[in-house]
Amino acid sequence: MDVGNVLVWAVWFVAAFACLGSGIAVVSFSNPFYSALALIGNLASLAVLYLLLSAEFVAAAQVLVYAGAVMVMFLFVVAYLGGRADAPWAGGASWQQVAALSAAGALLIEVFLAVGLEASDRLSEEPPVEAFFGGPHEIGRLFLTDHLLAFEITSIVLLVAAVGGVILGSHTRRFEPGVDR
Amino acid sequence: MNEVWWVSAIKSVIIVNVVLLSFAYLTLIERKVLGRMQLRYGPNRAGPFGILQPIADLIKLIRKESFFPAAAIDAPYILAPVVSAFTALAAFAVIPWGGGWEILGYQVNGYIIDVPISLLLIFALGSIGIYGFIVGGWASESKYSLLGSMRTCAQLVSYEVALALTVLGVILMAGSLSLTDIVAEQQRNLWFVVPQFVGFVTFFIAGVAETNRAPFDLPEAEQELVAGYHTEYSGMRWGLFQMAEYINMLTLSALAVTLFLGGWHFFWLDWLGPLWFILKLALVVFVFIWLRATFPRLRYDQLMSFGWKFLLPVAILNAVVTAILVVAL
Repeated sequence: MDVGNVLVWAVWFVAAFACLGSGIAVVSFSNPFYSALALIGNLASLAVLYLLLSAEFVAAAQVLVYAGAVMVMFLFVVAYLGGRADAPWAGGASWQQVAALSAAGALLIEVFLAVGLEASDRLSEEPPVEAFFGGPHEIGRLFLTDHLLAFEITSIVLLVAAVGGVILGSHTRRFEPGVDR
Repeated sequence: MNEVWWVSAIKSVIIVNVVLLSFAYLTLIERKVLGRMQLRYGPNRAGPFGILQPIADLIKLIRKESFFPAAAIDAPYILAPVVSAFTALAAFAVIPWGGGWEILGYQVNGYIIDVPISLLLIFALGSIGIYGFIVGGWASESKYSLLGSMRTCAQLVSYEVALALTVLGVILMAGSLSLTDIVAEQQRNLWFVVPQFVGFVTFFIAGVAETNRAPFDLPEAEQELVAGYHTEYSGMRWGLFQMAEYINMLTLSALAVTLFLGGWHFFWLDWLGPLWFILKLALVVFVFIWLRATFPRLRYDQLMSFGWKFLLPVAILNAVVTAILVVAL
């Protein structure tokens, strides 16, 4: 095994375990601020895994959008609420627990299948990864050809969310007589 | 041609030190220029013309007690300035400052690393750097710090959008996210400041806000918030926050030079790349200081409505018009 391969394995090992560790940390911290920080760590270590898949653009976008912009909002709200945040969530309805467990089980089976197939050499040839794979040009082309519908639907969903935010935010409260504001 | 790994290592060490030294002297230059603009001398006691002032400041900061509020939350309080300083320094790795040379038979490139997404990388690092300010203010357990970091947060998030959108015009014209490609494209045709003049002005204004500089220095409005998110910091921890702010300003100026002013390229003597780069950088940084001496601070509501109702629409319009022109021409 050459040095480059060892390095890839080492980075993968650290990133994968950081991912798992921070994921567990997100749900086990009782302070929501720490949970949000752990989630940032989780998203960042996912970005490292994307880098190993030679998806540089996705990795940078992941850090920029999720670990950066989205999580800032989380921290903003949590820091403002301070100690007044709700008590830790005690679990949802039973059907939610069943659904979560079966989804996790399905993922686990998939992982075992993939590892088993790889170990017994039954997976077909490795897909060729060209030099431009994961680059901005290629991703842009896919967005506007193969995945155009999903891309457009996502943008409409985001637009609806933005309009909803404006409507909720600009709602002027009526003066109610006898109530001190 | 590829360069040997130890050449890159030596270059990284040199660049980090050059950036740190420029930060130190930037504080002196800023105080001198501000002083002259306000009919004072500025610092002139430490060494001839005060050139040892940054060294004196550094020794003072290092020897000062690193005050630690009893209520502060240990780990985030200590780590926050480190995160900010690290991300600020790391961004310089992808900024090209020369055309590359062959010295003693070894290839030496004019950048430390060239990745196809270097522009995104700088923005990603910047968005992580914000956490240093927010977490530091939160972990200090002080109302001034918390309010300061909330303001920083709101301001940076608002102006980051406009900043990213102004860059879009340049990306569309260059057809690449790599800073070396963008410089090469300007070398072939025209500096982007000419076709992207609106973009340049919007970028600069958003950049001033993004680096918390006057007149957008609301996070540190001393009359209202003492010192913003670093109220409870002192000694070298405070120094790290200052370092992050000044280096962010340097990074942003370097980005402005690279994206709009042709980078290290000039009309002749291209092997002098770093010199041209530093001269252009100095010019942009001087404008930063000039703004601080000239404009009073905006009110918070003015800042927000300016960012969202004026700067953002202009940036969007600029991006759309550029896209149409790039496709049409």
